[in-house]
Amino acid sequence: MMTVIGWLIGLGVFALMAILVVHVLFALLLIVPSWRIFERAGFSGLLSLFHLVPVIGPFIVMAILAFSDWPSGEGRPRPAQP
Amino acid sequence: MGFDLAALLGLFGLTSAFALVALVLAGWMCWRIAEKAGLPGWTGAGAILLTLTGIGSFISLILLWVFAFMRWPRDGLAVATAAPAAPGASPGGAPTPPAALPPPPRALPDRRGWTLSGGGVTLAFDESRAAYTLTGEASGGSDELVVSDLSVGRPHARLLTAAGRIGLQDLGSPGGTYIDGARLLPEHGPRDITAVRTIKLGNVELALSRT
Repeated sequence: MMTVIGWLIGLGVFALMAILVVHVLFALLLIVPSWRIFERAGFSGLLSLFHLVPVIGPFIVMAILAFSDWPSGEGRPRPAQP
Repeated sequence: MGFDLAALLGLFGLTSAFALVALVLAGWMCWRIAEKAGLPGWTGAGAILLTLTGIGSFISLILLWVFAFMRWPRDGLAVATAAPAAPGASPGGAPTPPAALPPPPRALPDRRGWTLSGGGVTLAFDESRAAYTLTGEASGGSDELVVSDLSVGRPHARLLTAAGRIGLQDLGSPGGTYIDGARLLPEHGPRDITAVRTIKLGNVELALSRT
């Protein structure tokens, strides 16, 4: 009985590690270009590490880029300020 | 009707209302990001809509890499704006006269001076001059702010003042110029640094504060 439980725990840990490794590898595919985009926009590239957040990470990254003023300038004119 | 809508969404690979909301939200945000880079907004939204196709996820990933490393129309605008000052970093040649800082969105009432401090250096300046040259070695100019370090170029960058704001322009020094950790390139032209905390010239980090 204990052997079966040990196997199940081992299998679970292995599956968890596999999922983690695949997640990090896939996140890296997004982090590298996002790092470059953040730097070109004038932000710190470290913000691209939000891609490591499961499920909502890419949305956080997109929201930062979409709804903040880019320190190094934007291609479209900002709305006139009072 | 509910069943029909679910079937219709299923045709496009959308298995839940959450997926539909996420798709619309992502498309909207990518529209804005593309516009900020100077591209038509539909290119960003279109890249997201491609995920509705069978191999769309891979195409979107490829497009993300292309977007990151392509030349953005925004950079072209920056170069055009800073064109008169762009050749200022020509090695061995005298710097060209500084370009005026582009009109700020709004003048600031606070007209105190500014201080750059760090790395054993404290530099104070104000709006008595329209431009200052940040350099690693004094060459006799009265507008020079000297940061004695081998990693700082000669000249390295230009500070511009106007209407209570200050701008920073990289002159192409190999050591690099950074604004709050983000690299400033010569093609960016002058950038407003009124609200930033630190700038970095080569290896020297300078904190920006009001005098």
